[in-house]
Amino acid sequence: MKWLSNIFGLALVGLFLFVGVAAAASLGLTSGQLGAGSAAVSGCTASSLTATRNVNSSGNVTQVNVLSVPQACASETLAVTLENSSHVSLGAASTTVGTCTGGCTVTVTGFGTVSAASVTAYALSLTQ
Amino acid sequence: MRRFRIKPPLRLVAAAAIGTLSFGGVGYAASLGFSTNKLFAWSQTLTKGTCNQTSTTADDTYVQQLNPTSTAGGTATTLTISPIAATQDYAFIRFNLSGCSIPTTGGADSAVLTVNVRTAGADTISLFPVTSSWSSSTLTWNGVSGLTIGPTATGTFSASSTGAKTVTVTADVDNAIKAGNLWGWELRATSGVASVAVGAAENVTAANRPSMTLSYEK
Repeated sequence: MKWLSNIFGLALVGLFLFVGVAAAASLGLTSGQLGAGSAAVSGCTASSLTATRNVNSSGNVTQVNVLSVPQACASETLAVTLENSSHVSLGAASTTVGTCTGGCTVTVTGFGTVSAASVTAYALSLTQ
Repeated sequence: MRRFRIKPPLRLVAAAAIGTLSFGGVGYAASLGFSTNKLFAWSQTLTKGTCNQTSTTADDTYVQQLNPTSTAGGTATTLTISPIAATQDYAFIRFNLSGCSIPTTGGADSAVLTVNVRTAGADTISLFPVTSSWSSSTLTWNGVSGLTIGPTATGTFSASSTGAKTVTVTADVDNAIKAGNLWGWELRATSGVASVAVGAAENVTAANRPSMTLSYEK
């Protein structure tokens, strides 16, 4: 029965490794979200996109526009986080990328009251 | 066949190794950006700056209903604004932001226009955003109808006393940066009956000239 125990042990090791990877996935950990650059995996785009924002008369962000989102990203969820200089979230919102011809400009709204002057970075992600 | 068996002292080491490998798997997956459904993540860092505007980048004029084909810009030291029927005057002020080198993907964090009332009167002066091109050397009363002017006032100030008046114009300047040009504002009296005047870019006193503080991102 020892050989059976050993096989079971090896299977357990494999299971632990699999669970470890799955745990990282479930946490949504990515290098890009940590502000350490981008990490393209697969999907609709492998390039960093450019975002701009609009403000109201008080200088608060009313919307973020992500430019030239490939058509292949249609139906995916585009999430935007407004960050300060310490990469602390000042507000976050998301939307579903719609269909369009060529590159889409995707508008994300609903960040609450966030002064544009305080925003020093955008953290963006695309998910299915 | 010899059976493989880990002796008790090594079992703890083996367990630690398994834990380390699991942790390594988590870290490795994270470093690759793997997730159940995340396809792409990136960040964009913004650069902040200021680019305050003075008379050297200003262009201004005023148009007169009484002289509908005449231009008044270029040399006038004050800009007249009048709500008086049949003799209405509108002033126009803009700034050339090209020296700021702000791309159209940038934007205004804060913008405040300052004008200096030189001739006071009990008028409320409203600023309406202009989004089509004009030049002080050619703009006339008749030419105003060909401009694209926003229907909603960006802001107002009271001209009941002389001195500096400020109006927050952040949203207008933000839109102008994205459009590539700032065509400024039409200044019109929306209440009152007096003819007032604000300092022009050609005013002999620098403090009386239009100016604008601008903080931006790009």
